[in-house]
Amino acid sequence: MLSLLIGLPMVGSLGLFLGLGGRRLAIVLAGIPLVISLLLFRDFDLQATGMQWLEHRDWIPQLGLNYSLGLDGLSLLMLALNGLITLIAILTTEPEVKRPNLFYGLILLMSGAVNGAFTTQNLILFFLFYELVLIPIYLLISIWGSNKRDYAAIKFLIYTAVSAVFLLGAFLAIYWIGDPHSFELAEIPISDFSPAVQTLLLLALIVAFGIKMPLIPFHTWLPDAYGESSAPVAMLLGGVLSKLGTYGLFRFGLQLWPQAWADLAGILAWWGAVAVLSGALAAIAQKDIKRMVAYSSIGHMGYILLGMAAATPISLTGVMVQMVAHGLILALLFDLVGLVERKVGTRDLDVLNGLLNPLRGLPGISALLILGGMASAGIPGLVGFVAEFLIFQGSYSDFPLPTLIGILGTGLTAVYFVILLNRTCFGKLDNRTAYYPSVQGWERIPGLILAGLILWFGIQPMNLVKWPQQLAFTLSTQVAQTHTVILAEASEVSG
Amino acid sequence: MNWNWLVTSVWMIPLYALLAWVGALLWSPGITRRTGPRPAGYLNALLSLVALIHSVGALIVIWGQPAQVIRIPWMQVGDLVLELPLQVSTVTLGACVLVTGLNVVAQVYGFGYMEMDWGWARFFSLLGLFEGGMCALALCDSLFFSYIILEILTLGTYLLVGFWFNQPLVVTGARDAFLTKRIGDLLLLMGVIALYPLTGSWDFEALAAWAESVRAGAVSVDPGLITLVGLGLLAGSVGKCAQFPLHLWLDEAMEGPIPSTILRNAVVVSTGAWVLIRLQPLYALSPTVLAVMLTLGGLTAVGGSLVALAQIDAKRALSYLVSAYMGLVFVAVGTGHTQQAYALLLTYAAAMALLVMSIGTVIWNSITQDLRYLGGLWSRRPISGLCFLTGIAGMVALPPFGSFWVLTDLWQQLVESGQWLWAGVLVFTNGIAALGLTRVFGLVWAGKPQQMSERSPEVHWPMMLPTTAMMGVTLHMPMILAALALLPAVDGIPAGVMTASSLVGITLGAWLYLNPERQAVDWAFLADWQDLLANDFYTPKLYRASVVFAVRIISEITALFDRYVVDGLVNLTSLAVLAGGQVLKYTNSGQLQVYLLTIVIAVAVISWISL
Repeated sequence: MLSLLIGLPMVGSLGLFLGLGGRRLAIVLAGIPLVISLLLFRDFDLQATGMQWLEHRDWIPQLGLNYSLGLDGLSLLMLALNGLITLIAILTTEPEVKRPNLFYGLILLMSGAVNGAFTTQNLILFFLFYELVLIPIYLLISIWGSNKRDYAAIKFLIYTAVSAVFLLGAFLAIYWIGDPHSFELAEIPISDFSPAVQTLLLLALIVAFGIKMPLIPFHTWLPDAYGESSAPVAMLLGGVLSKLGTYGLFRFGLQLWPQAWADLAGILAWWGAVAVLSGALAAIAQKDIKRMVAYSSIGHMGYILLGMAAATPISLTGVMVQMVAHGLILALLFDLVGLVERKVGTRDLDVLNGLLNPLRGLPGISALLILGGMASAGIPGLVGFVAEFLIFQGSYSDFPLPTLIGILGTGLTAVYFVILLNRTCFGKLDNRTAYYPSVQGWERIPGLILAGLILWFGIQPMNLVKWPQQLAFTLSTQVAQTHTVILAEASEVSG
Repeated sequence: MNWNWLVTSVWMIPLYALLAWVGALLWSPGITRRTGPRPAGYLNALLSLVALIHSVGALIVIWGQPAQVIRIPWMQVGDLVLELPLQVSTVTLGACVLVTGLNVVAQVYGFGYMEMDWGWARFFSLLGLFEGGMCALALCDSLFFSYIILEILTLGTYLLVGFWFNQPLVVTGARDAFLTKRIGDLLLLMGVIALYPLTGSWDFEALAAWAESVRAGAVSVDPGLITLVGLGLLAGSVGKCAQFPLHLWLDEAMEGPIPSTILRNAVVVSTGAWVLIRLQPLYALSPTVLAVMLTLGGLTAVGGSLVALAQIDAKRALSYLVSAYMGLVFVAVGTGHTQQAYALLLTYAAAMALLVMSIGTVIWNSITQDLRYLGGLWSRRPISGLCFLTGIAGMVALPPFGSFWVLTDLWQQLVESGQWLWAGVLVFTNGIAALGLTRVFGLVWAGKPQQMSERSPEVHWPMMLPTTAMMGVTLHMPMILAALALLPAVDGIPAGVMTASSLVGITLGAWLYLNPERQAVDWAFLADWQDLLANDFYTPKLYRASVVFAVRIISEITALFDRYVVDGLVNLTSLAVLAGGQVLKYTNSGQLQVYLLTIVIAVAVISWISL
C-alpha cells in the first residue's frame, strides 16, 4: 500500500514526461493516491502505539540504506494532506499552462517523494526523499514563476542545501556514534548518546528542519519563493513542503531525542512565541497580498513550535492538527490570491478594491477569501481555531507567557487579514477599470473543496483530532519521563 | 398529548436560524439575478418564526419545572472533554423568546427598510447567523462555548457593519468593530485558557460551585492569578457591551443598516452582559476585578449618557445610550445584583428596539440621520412619534413603565447596602438619558420642518407594523416582569428619586427643545465642552495616536528588519561567497608545484593541530 503511494505518482510522472496523457491523466494519477490514503484511514488502528503497515526490504545493507516504511497517526494525516493538496494544485492549474506534461509530471514526482519522506523509517532513505523533492520544486519555481523567479528559486535551493548539510551531518553522526551502526529509526540506540551530544544533534536537526518550515530567522527564502511561484506551486510549497520541516522536527527531533527536547523546551517555546509575533507584524506591513499570506505562514509555524515545546498530549495533538489546518488554509488562500491575481491582474493592496461587488467584482472568491482569512486568524467554527486552541490549552500550564503571546499573535493575524479583506473585498469598485474575466466553474472547485473541509473539521473536529492522539500520548509520556529523570538527577546532585 | 419533545429538541432553536443562514447564502448573485433577492429574506423570517414558536412552546412546557441540561459531545483529547451543555430553563428559554421575537420583528422591518436593496441574501443570512448565535449563547451553559459563540458573532458584526461596503466610513467602521471586539475576545480567550487548569471545568454551574468552595476556603488559589484571570474574562464583556475603553466600535457600527442596528442595540450588546452575569460568582472572588468592573461601568454610564447629548447623528445619539445602559448593568453586576441586571436587560431591550425602530422609519424616507436637518414631524408622523415617546417611557424610570421598576429596585438595593456612589451614578445616568432622548424627540418631531423633513410622511406597513407591535410589547413590559417574577414588591418602593431624575431630564429637554416660542440657545460658551462630548472625549484620536500608531510602527520596523537585516545578512553572505570565488579563481595558475606546496602546508597545519 505505502509503496504504491510513493511509486504510482513517480511512475506516472515518468509517463507524463514521455508525453502521455495530460491534465486528465494527471488528475487520475493524483486522485488514486488520495483514495489510497483515505482507505488507510479505514484500516488504521487507533489504539496501536507503534508503526502500522510496516514494509521492510534491504536495499544497500553495506550503507545501512534499507527500504523500510511505516505509518502512524502523524504520517497518516500528512499522506492524506499531501494527496489532497497535490490533487487540488493540479485542479487549480490553468489548462493552458505552458508545457503541461512537464508541469504535472514534476508535481507528481514531488508528491511521490513527499509521500516517501512521510512514511520512511530509515534516516538515509528520508534524506534521499527529502533531497529528491528539491529538484521538481526548483524547476516548478524557476520555470513557471513570475518575474523574480530565478532569484527566488536559487535562494530556495541554496537555503535547502544548507538544510541538507545539517541534516546529513546529523544523520551521519547518529550512524557513527550509535552502536550498532544503524540508520533505522527504530534501532537507534538513544542511550549511547551523552546528553551533550544529544543536544548538539538536536540543534543541528532544528536548524535543518527550521530552514524548511521555516522558522525565524531562517525564513527569508520563503516570501520570495512563495511570492514568485505560480498559485499551484505556492499551494504545494505552503501546504505540503513546509510540513516536511514540521514533520521532520517532530519525527527526528522530538520523537528521537525526548531528553534533549525537554532540556531545550523553554527556549523553543519562546522561539515559537517570537516567530508568531514577528511573522504577524511583518505581515501587517506587506503591500502584496501573496507576500502577506506568505508571512502569515511564518507566524503559524510559531504555534507549531510552541506546541511541540510544551509536549503535552493536548498540545501535541494540536500541533498535528495545526499541520493539517495550516495546509488546508494556506492552500485555500494561495488558490484565491492566485485567482484574484489572474482575474484582476494585480496583487497590490493599494490597487485592489471592492471585489465583493456582486455584479462586476468577484463575489464568490471574496466570500471564500473572508472564510480563509478568518480561518487563519483562528475564528472558532473553522479548523484553524481547533488547532490553535489545543496548542494554547496544552501549552499554557508549562509556558504561560509564550502562550499568551501566541494568543496575542492571533489578534495581530486578525489585523492583517482585516487589512487584506478591507482593501480587496470591501470598498468601491472602479467602474472604468472593473472589467474582469468571469470566474469559471472549474476555478471555483478547488476553493470550495478546501473551504468545505475547513468548515467541516472546524465543526466536527473529532474527525481530525482522533487520528494522532495515540502518538501524542506516547510521545508526551516519553518527554515527561525523561524530564522527571532529569529533575531527579538534578535533585540528587544538589542533594 | 405530550409536548415534552419541545424541550428535548431545544437544540433545534439555534439550528433553525443557522439553516436560514445557509439557505439565504444560496441566493448568490447568480440566483438573485433570476429570482430577485426577496426569497432569501422571506425564508429567513419564516424560519425565525418557527424558532419563535418553538421557543414559546418549550417555555410553556418548562414553566415551573426544574432546569434540564442537554449535553452534545464535540471534542475529546485525553482528559479534556468538551461537550456543549445546553441549559433548558425558564430564563434561558425566555431569552430565546426575546431573541427570536426581536428577530422576527426586525426581519419584517427589514423587508420594508431594505426594499430597494439587492443584498438581501447577504443581509438576512447574517441576521440568521446572529439569531442562531444568540439563541445558542442563551442556552449554552459553558464558558468555553460562550467564547466560541461570542467570537463568531464578532465576525458577524464585521460583515454586517460592512454590509454597504462601498462607502469608506462603513469599511473603517467594520474594521474597527471587528478589531476592538477581537481585543476583548482574545483577552477573554486568555482568561478561558488560564481558568481551566484551576477549575477543571468550563460549565457555569461548576464555575460557580468552584468559586463557592474557594470562598469557603476548601480550595486555595493565588489571588493575583485569579485577579488576572478575572480581568481577562471581564475584557470579553467590556468589548461586547461597548464599555470604555473598547466602546468605539458601537459608534462606528451605526454605519450599518438599521434592521441590524435594532438587533445590535437591543440584544447583541447584551450577549456580553449575559456572560458577565453568569460569571458573577467568579468575579466576586477578586475585589480588584469588581472594582474595575464598577469603575468601567460607572464611567461608561456617565460618560456615554453625556456624549449622547452632543451627537448630531440620530443613531449615534441612541448608540451611546446603549453603552450607558450596559454600564448600568455592569454596575448592577459589580454590586452583586444579578437579578436586577437580568431584568434591566429585558426592559432595556424592548425599549431600545422600539426607539431604534421609530427613528429608523424617519431616517428611511427623510434620507438623513442628521438631527440638524430634521424637525417638525409631529403633525405628519404622530404614530412614529408616539412610538418614540413610548420608547422613552420604557427606557427611563417613569412609572408605571418597564424600566421604572427595575431601576427603582436597583436604586433601593444600592441605597440599602450603602453604595451611594453607584446609586448616584444610576440617578445621574437615568436623568441624562431622559434629557438626551427628549432632545432627540424634540429635534425630530417638534420645532419647524427643516430641509430634509419637508416631505416626510409615515412609511409603509412592513416598517410600521413591527414598530407598533414593539410599542405594544414595551407597554406590556410590567406585566411580563410580573409573570417572570421579576417585579419588585410594590409596597414601600422608593419611587420618588428615580422618577424625579427622569422628570428633571425630560422637563429640561422639553424646555430646551419642545418650546416653539423659545429662542434657540447660543451654545457658543460651551463650545469646548460640546466638542469634547461630540468627539467622544477624543478617544478615537487617542487610539490613533497610541495603539494604532504603535502597531503600525512596530510592524514597519519588523518588516524593514526582516528585509534589510535578516535577509541582508543572507545576501551579504552570498555576496561574500561570490566575491571569494572571484578572487580565488585567479589562484588557479595551473602550476603543479604551487598546488603541492598548498597541500603540504595544509597537511602540516592539520597534523600540528591534531597533535
